[in-house]
Amino acid sequence: MGTLLTVVLFLPLAGALVAAILPRGEGTQHKTWALCVSLVVFFASLGLWFGFDPSRGAPEFQFETNVPWIASLGIGFHVGLDGVALLLVMLTTALGPIVILSAWNAVQDRVKEFFIALLFLETAMIGTFAALDLVLFYVFYEAILIPMYLLIGVWGSANRVYATVKFFVYTFAASVLMLVAILYVWMNDGRSFDYVVARNALQVTPAMGALLFGAFALAFAVKVPMFPLHTWLPDAHTEAPTAGSVILAGVLLKMGTFGFFRYALPLFPEAALQYRGTIAAVATFGIAYGALMSMVQTDMKRLVAYSSVSHLGFVMLGMMAITAEGLTGSVYQMLNHGVSTGGLFLLVGMLYERRHTRLISDYGGLAKQVPWIATAFLVVTFSSIGLPGTNGFIGEFLILSGTWLSRLRGAGWYTAFGATGVVLGAVYMLVLVQKVFFGKITNPENLHLPDFSVREAFVITPVIVLIVVMGLAPQPFLAQAKPSVDRLMARMQVAEQRLRQADPGLRPLVGTEPAAIAFARPPAVPSPAPSAPPPGAAAPAPAHGSH
Amino acid sequence: MPSSIDIAALLPFLLLVLGALVLMLSEVFLKSGGRGYQSGLTIAFAIAAAVAAPLAPQAILFGGQAVSDGFSAFVTVVVCVGLVLSALLGRGWLEVRNMERGEYYALALFGASGMVLLGMATDLLLAFIAIEVMSLAIYSLAAYPRRGQRAPEAAFKYFILGSFASAILLYGSALYYGATGSTLLSAMKGGGGALLAAGLGLILVGLAFKVAAVPFHAWTPDVYEGAPTPATAFMAAGVKAAAFAFLTRGVLAMVAGSPFAVGSQLGGILGLLAVLTMVVGNLFALPQRNVKRMLAYSSIAQAGYLLVGVIAASSREGRAQGLAAVLVYLAAYAVTVIGAFAVLAVLERREPNPDANAEGAWDISRFSGLASRRPWLAFAMAIFMLSLAGVPPTAGFVAKLSVFQSAAAAGAWGLAVVGVLTSILGVYYYLRVVVAMYMRPAEVEEPAAAPATVVLAIAVAAIVVVVVGFSPEPLAAWARAAVLGM
Repeated sequence: MGTLLTVVLFLPLAGALVAAILPRGEGTQHKTWALCVSLVVFFASLGLWFGFDPSRGAPEFQFETNVPWIASLGIGFHVGLDGVALLLVMLTTALGPIVILSAWNAVQDRVKEFFIALLFLETAMIGTFAALDLVLFYVFYEAILIPMYLLIGVWGSANRVYATVKFFVYTFAASVLMLVAILYVWMNDGRSFDYVVARNALQVTPAMGALLFGAFALAFAVKVPMFPLHTWLPDAHTEAPTAGSVILAGVLLKMGTFGFFRYALPLFPEAALQYRGTIAAVATFGIAYGALMSMVQTDMKRLVAYSSVSHLGFVMLGMMAITAEGLTGSVYQMLNHGVSTGGLFLLVGMLYERRHTRLISDYGGLAKQVPWIATAFLVVTFSSIGLPGTNGFIGEFLILSGTWLSRLRGAGWYTAFGATGVVLGAVYMLVLVQKVFFGKITNPENLHLPDFSVREAFVITPVIVLIVVMGLAPQPFLAQAKPSVDRLMARMQVAEQRLRQADPGLRPLVGTEPAAIAFARPPAVPSPAPSAPPPGAAAPAPAHGSH
Repeated sequence: MPSSIDIAALLPFLLLVLGALVLMLSEVFLKSGGRGYQSGLTIAFAIAAAVAAPLAPQAILFGGQAVSDGFSAFVTVVVCVGLVLSALLGRGWLEVRNMERGEYYALALFGASGMVLLGMATDLLLAFIAIEVMSLAIYSLAAYPRRGQRAPEAAFKYFILGSFASAILLYGSALYYGATGSTLLSAMKGGGGALLAAGLGLILVGLAFKVAAVPFHAWTPDVYEGAPTPATAFMAAGVKAAAFAFLTRGVLAMVAGSPFAVGSQLGGILGLLAVLTMVVGNLFALPQRNVKRMLAYSSIAQAGYLLVGVIAASSREGRAQGLAAVLVYLAAYAVTVIGAFAVLAVLERREPNPDANAEGAWDISRFSGLASRRPWLAFAMAIFMLSLAGVPPTAGFVAKLSVFQSAAAAGAWGLAVVGVLTSILGVYYYLRVVVAMYMRPAEVEEPAAAPATVVLAIAVAAIVVVVVGFSPEPLAAWARAAVLGM
């Protein structure tokens, strides 16, 4: 069983090595080869999906391989998947062929290197989610920077060098302290870099735990990115080629939130409980800030980039609620954001290929010319703003209800402020759709645009299908994530117990308030009905049954 | 009379000296032209020495003045690999400039023999002799292109400052002898007081000069820039390895045998040196547009990271890991930096008059657009830059990881934090070369075709850097085994 994951992990890299010896002049050969490799990887990863056992008694990490890698430094090649990592690996492998297909015509220059970089990137991304050794994780986490840096810097648009250097230096700078923290963990868990060992054996003082949590949190917060560490993102997104933007939004940002879920919270639960209010506050602010920034953008890609800041704020808020609903919603929203924002970047990229401009004002009235693109764009937009029936709704609903019911101090306020992001999200996205697709055609250049080509239809169809399936039948996805969420909850509860031993008067921190108390909150807390997603209060959440 | 064991233990050193003598004689018997075999001979001797080193018996030589152990064998191999790669580079570089002579290789072999001896030395006097053998050869190598002013100027600077440092080292040794009655490092147990402290301080200054630690680094940029590129590459790899080997042995002896609380003071002094070296080296590298000077400052910065490993080795908890980390770092750095200088050598401008427009010869604009003209060359340079920056998966990352890990084991958290933070600066200036190669349009004339031997050197270095990055265990295990019992 363990071999399958290793195969999925290294197949793209092997494909990249083969591509390195294919002749440079044969661009089509490289495209076809990369597409085949990524399809094989995807089908192989389906084996992981169906082979994963989410039942209660199943082992936490499945498809495990644990062999020494650098034995004299105590570093192992330990990989394995829990439910959340599985979902993100599936997201990565599913986006792989889509991204390659989307870049088919867009990349004319240095085709060979482009697809080698994409394949290398895929291995590094899968590795980040699969790694169960702290140094191995760090290696994959950093190795991602190289291909991404080249993708933005070589194939990006006008201001690409500035954007890519900023991206690299920002992320690298934030993560080096995590390396020191990893070394500190190694010193204090009986000299092991193994994640499972570290999680059980780590012994640090509360003050040190807070510092270590800070080092991990800083690295991940830049990657997420959380306000005010987000400034690299709009530049990187705007300058990146479509494929780069899709991967950046679809997978790379998830590494930050996944890092919180997998490392920062379980390794340092006490520190997490102590600082979650701060993180939740920053996340909430980020939701509103990202949404407000999106409203004033004139560049479509920049708009979508800022909307990512807003959406990832939701993910972080749900995680800091530390309730089963919040965590589940947070995990689900990671996937949703990958699908919907990835879809938006794909569509913006298609428009860009037709018109070579990203400015909203250059468009207008496209719906008549390209009805299918307009339809797809609208569906993805609905997903992005969380309309019921799409996947976005389930994620946002779970996050907001999980936060509302949580024992986070001032949970109502966080929920209320966070919910403004939903409203503002609807505003900026619908305004974007209206400006680009509806109204009269003012610019004659927009008159004769072709609709989807067959290739583009193949690119966007899986995204639309995922949006609908994940919106109507979230259960299979949530079921995979459930064991991980439950385990993290149990871990946080144990940490709460430990804190209570030190301070018997501690108020409850983890889990949900009993419903009666939640509704009997003082009147200062605004009612969720007007600000929550319109049908949020009344609709029976399809996912609710899973808890 | 030396026993056969002594001879066997000294075999790597003797092979290099023999090689140097053969190469000198080759020039006498040479008919005109047909010099190609000289680099081949050099490489053959270097490989023979590298093979002999791990097979050499463990022995104490010259009545305790030198030792042949795993550590010295590792250093010997690093020096010899450096010599092989820089001889390959030198062959191509010198040939196109019509400067290839047997002296060049003879000097390189003499220098390497001095480095090998320094790696074995456990006595100040022997170390002084080894340093002089090494340094005199390197001074001459730096002055090797006699046309123009830059190379002689660089060599003269290096010579004056290097002699000064040697004198300080010698004076420190004299004080050491006065305090302990011996020049053996192991004699430190017997002495004490201000005399010994002064002697050790002066010795440390002399060695800090050789490894180019701040504030004794000022010679490095000018010398690195002025010296012919193959010589610079050999200097960066070999001198650093040998000098660090002796510095490490000296620090270990100080910790083991100091009658006064050298341990804490030493840690403080070395720590200050390390922090200064990392910070200043990286900061000064930042604004360089001249890639050769940038690599010179980067070599200063790398010395800072190596010092962190030495400091870790000076503590009981971090001893084995620190020593192994220093060795891994030296090996990774040697291969990477020679590769980087080799790419630079391909691109550097060749003028009939070497003094004309000397400033622009290694300007970063010469790297512009390289990725579209010479994809493999650019790819190799990108690998070297990422390795120097310590980005995985390259040898440089493994080296930095082991150094910081040993610092962690020794509890030197401050140094680890300064180390990772300064490496952020490194990312910026190393990436600038990658930016130029991959993201800027070409600005200068098409670079001349690289000679086959240079291509070979670059390819070998790049493959080693990547293979060690993906599978570092053999190197790490070897380094671990080499420091057993120290």
